[in-house]
Amino acid sequence: MVLPYLIYVRTCPACGDGLCRVRVCTHQNKLAGCVVCDECESVWTDPAMSEKFTEGVDSYTASCPDCGRSLWEDTSHWADIQEVCLLGWYDKVKVART
Amino acid sequence: MTRRSPQNPEMIAGALKLLPARWAIAILVAAIAYVVLQPKLNQWFGWNLPSAAAMLGQEAPAAKSKQPPITKPDTAANTKLDTASSNKTAPPKPSNPKPAPQKPTLANGTDATSSKTSSGSKTSSNDSEDLKFRFLKPLGRDRYESPAGLIYTPGSEEGHRLKHIERHVSDQPNRPGSHGVFDGDMESFLTAIDDGYKRARGHAKGTKQREEEGMTVFEAPFDKPIGYLGGSEGARKGKPKLKRLRIVVRDKNLITAFPIQ
Repeated sequence: MVLPYLIYVRTCPACGDGLCRVRVCTHQNKLAGCVVCDECESVWTDPAMSEKFTEGVDSYTASCPDCGRSLWEDTSHWADIQEVCLLGWYDKVKVART
Repeated sequence: MTRRSPQNPEMIAGALKLLPARWAIAILVAAIAYVVLQPKLNQWFGWNLPSAAAMLGQEAPAAKSKQPPITKPDTAANTKLDTASSNKTAPPKPSNPKPAPQKPTLANGTDATSSKTSSGSKTSSNDSEDLKFRFLKPLGRDRYESPAGLIYTPGSEEGHRLKHIERHVSDQPNRPGSHGVFDGDMESFLTAIDDGYKRARGHAKGTKQREEEGMTVFEAPFDKPIGYLGGSEGARKGKPKLKRLRIVVRDKNLITAFPIQ
C-alpha cells in the first residue's frame, strides 16, 4: 500500500542520501519497529539511531532486529502513523506529504 | 576478396621458387608463428583472426564458430530481452567481437551522460531486462556481475538492486531532503558506476573510501557533471549539477549508487 505521506527520522548519516524511515515487522503477529535507510538499508533499532543492527538472515539484506527476518518480506512494511504511535515514536519522526 | 586460391599449391610452390631462400624461410616461419599464435591471440585480446584452415578455405571463418558477443541465459526473461533488444541494438559486427559495454567514451567518465537524451524517456522495465544481458554477466539466480566486478543481486525494497538504483535516473521532487539524480539512462549509469568503482578501488586522485559498519562507501569525481540534485532540497537549491558519484557496497555487492555534491 502506498501511503500519501512519508514518515522519516532524518537523512541517513551513513550514505547521506537516503531517508531513515520507520519500518515495522509483524512476524508472528508481533509489532516490531526499527529505523531503516531507504537507500543504503542500514538498520537501527530505534529512532535515537544510536545502535546499528548489522546481523540477520545475511549481511546483504536489511533484517528485523527483533526476529532477524528480511525487512523486505511480506511481513514487513513502512510504518503508518498509527503504528508509529503504537511504537511510541511519534514525537521522534517527521511526516512529509508525498 | 582477393584471397589467393587455395586450390593451386603448384602456383604457390612456383612463387616460392622465385623468391630468395632467405625470404622463403622468413615467410614460412611467419606462417608457422601465425598458425600457433592465432587461437591464443583471439582468446587473449578478443580478436577475430581467421585460422589458417579458414584462410585456405577448409573451414568457416572464426567469427561464425566463436561465441556470440552477447550471452543470453536460458531464462524466461529472455523473451522480454529479445523483443526489447531487437528494437534498440544493431546486430553485432562479425569483425568486432568486443561486447557493447566496452565503450571508451564512457569508461573514462568524461562523457558518461552522452546517451541521456537519445530517447527522451527514462528506462522502462524492458530496457533494464535488456540492459542486464548487454552490460552485465549473468551469474545465475538473478545475480549479475559488471565488468568491474560489482555484483547486482536480488534485494532491497524494489526486489532487485538494479531496480533500486534505477530510482536515481529520475527525480523525485516530492521526496524530503536530497535525491541525487543521474542525468542519463541506466546503461550510462551502470557504466559510470563501474568507472567510479574501479577508480575509487584503485585510490585514484580525488576518490574517497570509508568503512561503515559492514559496508564500504566509495566516492569518485567526474570531469563533467553526471547529474543534479533532486528531491525537495534540490528543487529549493535550483537543481545544482553534481560531479561526484557515491557507491555503497557490501563486499562486492552493490547496495546503492547516486550522484552527490
